[in-house]
Amino acid sequence: MTAPPFRKVLIANRGEIALRIARTCRELGIATVAVYSTPDRDSAAVRFADEAVHIGPAAPRRSYLSMPGPIEAALRCGADAVHPGYGFLSEDPDFATVCADNGLTFIGPRPEVMAAVGDKARVRELMRAAGLPVLPGSDGAVPTLAEAGRVASEIGYPVVVKAAAGGGGRGIGVARSAAELPRVHQETVALARAVFGNGEVYLERYVERARHVEVQVLGDEAGNVVHLGERDCSLQRRNQKLVEEAPSPGLDPRTRAALGEHAVAGAKAVGYTGAGTMEFLVDEAGTVTFMELNARIQVEHPVTEALTGIDLIREQIRIAAGLPLAVKQEDVRLSGTAIECRVNAEDPEADFRPAPGRLEVFDVPGGPWTRVDSGFVRGDTVPPYYDSLLAKLIVWAPTRAEALARADRALAEFTVAGPGVVTTIPLLRRLISHPVFAAGRHTTRFVHELLDG
Amino acid sequence: MSEQAWSEEFKLLRAEVSSLVKTIPGAVSTVVLRSGDRSVEVSWTHQEGPVTRASGEPEPPRDEVADPAIRSVVAPLVGTFYVAPEPGAEPFTRRGARVESGQTVAIVEAMKLMNQVPSEWSGEVVEVLVADGQPVEFGQELVRVRVDGT
Repeated sequence: MTAPPFRKVLIANRGEIALRIARTCRELGIATVAVYSTPDRDSAAVRFADEAVHIGPAAPRRSYLSMPGPIEAALRCGADAVHPGYGFLSEDPDFATVCADNGLTFIGPRPEVMAAVGDKARVRELMRAAGLPVLPGSDGAVPTLAEAGRVASEIGYPVVVKAAAGGGGRGIGVARSAAELPRVHQETVALARAVFGNGEVYLERYVERARHVEVQVLGDEAGNVVHLGERDCSLQRRNQKLVEEAPSPGLDPRTRAALGEHAVAGAKAVGYTGAGTMEFLVDEAGTVTFMELNARIQVEHPVTEALTGIDLIREQIRIAAGLPLAVKQEDVRLSGTAIECRVNAEDPEADFRPAPGRLEVFDVPGGPWTRVDSGFVRGDTVPPYYDSLLAKLIVWAPTRAEALARADRALAEFTVAGPGVVTTIPLLRRLISHPVFAAGRHTTRFVHELLDG
Repeated sequence: MSEQAWSEEFKLLRAEVSSLVKTIPGAVSTVVLRSGDRSVEVSWTHQEGPVTRASGEPEPPRDEVADPAIRSVVAPLVGTFYVAPEPGAEPFTRRGARVESGQTVAIVEAMKLMNQVPSEWSGEVVEVLVADGQPVEFGQELVRVRVDGT
């Protein structure tokens, strides 16, 4: 039996992803250290991990976003690697650098690669140079509103203004005419400054009706890159994903092949290592354009795991330890259909206001090819300080129709109740049984048109 | 009474007891039902509800001395505890020493930054709980102070 790739990993995150990472570490024989803020003291991830360190109070900027906490915790516990999960510090090149400076292996890409792809305005140019199709847009960030106006009239309205330091669907505003541009530009700059600490924005043509199709890639330190197929994440509300599936329904096989090739070419062009996701838009004519590269493990990664049988966290850990990729492209097998539903503690009837509270009832579904990743068990209290994700429900079946039926069966079983707790389970059932979604004809406008139209 | 009447009465009794048991604020250990001259007895153990902590505040020490006059200075971050400003220098404080509110009683070092830790209270130091150079967690007790006037 070979030695584990690391002796001990510190998980610099919380909730479902922290538990998810800890489980794979346990399977690999790697000791785990969880870090927690005060309200997460009794969380499932903390209970599961071999050790845990209290790093701060509830506020993320004093706990999960504060670098000294996880670094000091890693040093005191003798961890040799740090897994940043998603969100928080996972795409912060400085954190990756600080880990390296302290002799800790950061499980993710190199800091210079993170910095390059984290600038959403600049990475468009890198991808264009690598031969990927990109939307007409500004050449990097636009320094002034006047420049934005000039670029917008060149590429034609509607345009989308995006935060260069943004990501996760935030910091995006659409201007449908020159008259709208000043307001949209100002709002996006202000939000970008407030949320990302960087007010730089860039412009792109806005594609009204498109599918959000992303490709999972893995790259090792020897420069090998493979793709593991695409995921369709078009079911979104205000740029936040609700449901993800693989493969993308009704995608033309040539388009599918092109997406895979572009993803590998783009990842190689930036020297990408680890697990990453290339996001594309596919418009109604089937035209593909590059959107952004997410240099982290993503929330919806289990969908790809279901199709391929590959544990993506395991691959991340092995790659970070300098091991070669476990598969070559010709070994990758994509089988069946997987669908993930994000169950959030939010009230769709009250504009999706967060509705956290104590989970007095929390009966998760089981059964054939039914997976639930959650940071909570019955009796836990969902804290109000972090995202409202309660659980991810992932089902797999040989065909899409069976997967949809399985997802609905599992959602119907999923019972959540507690004082003040409301979930998006009924909404999810409504969405996945809608004829447009069932036919695979939805675009990123679908949820908006259904709920707000 | 007849078989049927007993059956009816039993159903009513059971329903009564069920709703009674639901209102008991604890774990029910025994239920006794008699019929002649009536009787219903329920025993339960008193159960404490879960302790809810004020959000964002460090937890009070689990092994807190029953003495309400004793307060703890806790670590404001994760790092290494130092009793003195420099190696070999006089410690900031020691058992038996006086402290004033705002006075530094320790340093917690994180990523090479020395964070001074002040005492919130004026009083007498009754104990320094951590050895010099030991790692500490956020919220960990460092120094116990008997507060003036208590």
